[in-house]
Amino acid sequence: MSVLEVTGLRAGYGAINVLQDIDLTVEPGEIVVVLGANGAGKTTAMRAISGTIARQGTILFDGEDITGRSPEQIVKLGIAQVPQGRGTFPELTVEENLRIGAFTRNDGEVALDIDLWYETFPRLSERRSQRAGSLSGGEQQMLAIARALMSRPRLLLCDEPSLGLAPLITKELFNIIGGLNARWGIAVLLVEQNANLAMQIAQRVYLLETGSIVATGDAETIAADDSIRKAYLGY
Amino acid sequence: MDRFFEALFIGLSSGAIYSLVALGIVVVFRGSGHLNFAQGEMATLSAYVASVAAAWTLPIVHWDVPMWGAAIVAMVFGFLVSAATEILIVRPLGKRSPLAVFVALIAVFLGINALDAGLWGAPPSEVVTSLFPNAPTDFAEVFGTVWRYKDIGTLVVTIVITALLFLLFAKTKIGLAMRAVASNTESGKLVGIPTGLVLAGSWGLAGALAAVAGTMFAGAQGNPGQVTPILMFTVFVYASAAATLGGLDSPIGAVVAGLSIGVVENQAAEWAPGWIGQEMKLSVALACIFVVLLVRPSGLFGTVKVERV
Repeated sequence: MSVLEVTGLRAGYGAINVLQDIDLTVEPGEIVVVLGANGAGKTTAMRAISGTIARQGTILFDGEDITGRSPEQIVKLGIAQVPQGRGTFPELTVEENLRIGAFTRNDGEVALDIDLWYETFPRLSERRSQRAGSLSGGEQQMLAIARALMSRPRLLLCDEPSLGLAPLITKELFNIIGGLNARWGIAVLLVEQNANLAMQIAQRVYLLETGSIVATGDAETIAADDSIRKAYLGY
Repeated sequence: MDRFFEALFIGLSSGAIYSLVALGIVVVFRGSGHLNFAQGEMATLSAYVASVAAAWTLPIVHWDVPMWGAAIVAMVFGFLVSAATEILIVRPLGKRSPLAVFVALIAVFLGINALDAGLWGAPPSEVVTSLFPNAPTDFAEVFGTVWRYKDIGTLVVTIVITALLFLLFAKTKIGLAMRAVASNTESGKLVGIPTGLVLAGSWGLAGALAAVAGTMFAGAQGNPGQVTPILMFTVFVYASAAATLGGLDSPIGAVVAGLSIGVVENQAAEWAPGWIGQEMKLSVALACIFVVLLVRPSGLFGTVKVERV
């Protein structure tokens, strides 16, 4: 069974529909990337899945219909989203950001997980008592990911993690995401403009253009397809 | 020195009321980013409710409701009315424009005021007794000055409430969630915080604080104290000044500023009775605030907003 199975998804803001009948799936342990230009509907798709905007169609998570669920319930079920830009709480310290990431959990292992993510992101450990707003862009993005992981998700949604980051930092970040996937088996749905880097860690690719999926396939196949690359990826 | 200590003490106890109302303003501002113009009126309305509750006699057992019981009734009432204001007025309007909320809150201010006057109009007969012993002999002598128990009580209650709020925000999960929602509502949703509930809770908390302030202040007006529709007018001016001076998003700032304003105005009135006195003391406090805000625009303890570009 797919971790995530989206069929006929339509969503938008007010009267404007941004997404037109999107179908996509994420299999267990898979990294899937949705590529698209500005305004293609990538962020809208993320918001629709995490439940923060109104949507129609069907979204199944582990076979369970989550289309009508609230964001709180969706987090509890095991989907965590790293939103675009700063997904952190700037006025809270790094450690508080991680603690609030575990808001939906009632087990006694929150401190254990915090230590675990400090090991994975040593730079966050050095800055644990600093306010998140004082971190660099790359560090904030790492904190946003660690914060999302604190809810122990089975599916991680990442909305343009490379936005505004230096190429070297982006590369490091993608390696970390790939590592998380390899080590913990967390399925990842990534939306990106940075096609080149994203396709290196992804297994499958969807191409999104003005609200519709225009192409899909294995990352290697898509990357090798010159016509698709020229038409949609622009390099 | 006696006069100094006496004015200091009176200043602290009147400042305590400003602090409580200012705390409510700060809790709402941190939570939802709105300035609650009706915070003072919420306190007045709650004081009326306390006076009504205190006048009850319980059926069957025929016990009179004790004043602290009436204060608790008023707190529950303040919590519910304030939370309802957020859910029914602030939230739907806030989605459209912050300015609409601003205007609506002024309307709530006027509405509650009119309601008070309508329900409990002339002649004013609603009274609230002090929560603390308030007979003419109920005072302690400190440094040769008179410290009345009701003023000591007000100060102690304010300190205890401040400490509890500090613990709530710093040590509890719900407090952390409130700060998180204040910092970034969108991400608050994404970590699974029921943000609507948290916002209503912040407003409710502010309403309960208003009820404590209103009941204590009304009780301190006399023996017993009279509740009138304009009970909190000047207090609200002082309190909003205290909230601004403290930095609008800092509870500690609100308390320090509230107490300072109380002390400064009372010292000024004490030492320059001729040309400042009781009538002009408000302007002294406001002049000090003006100077402080010129030097520190984000207030004494406020967070300096840093924009990244």
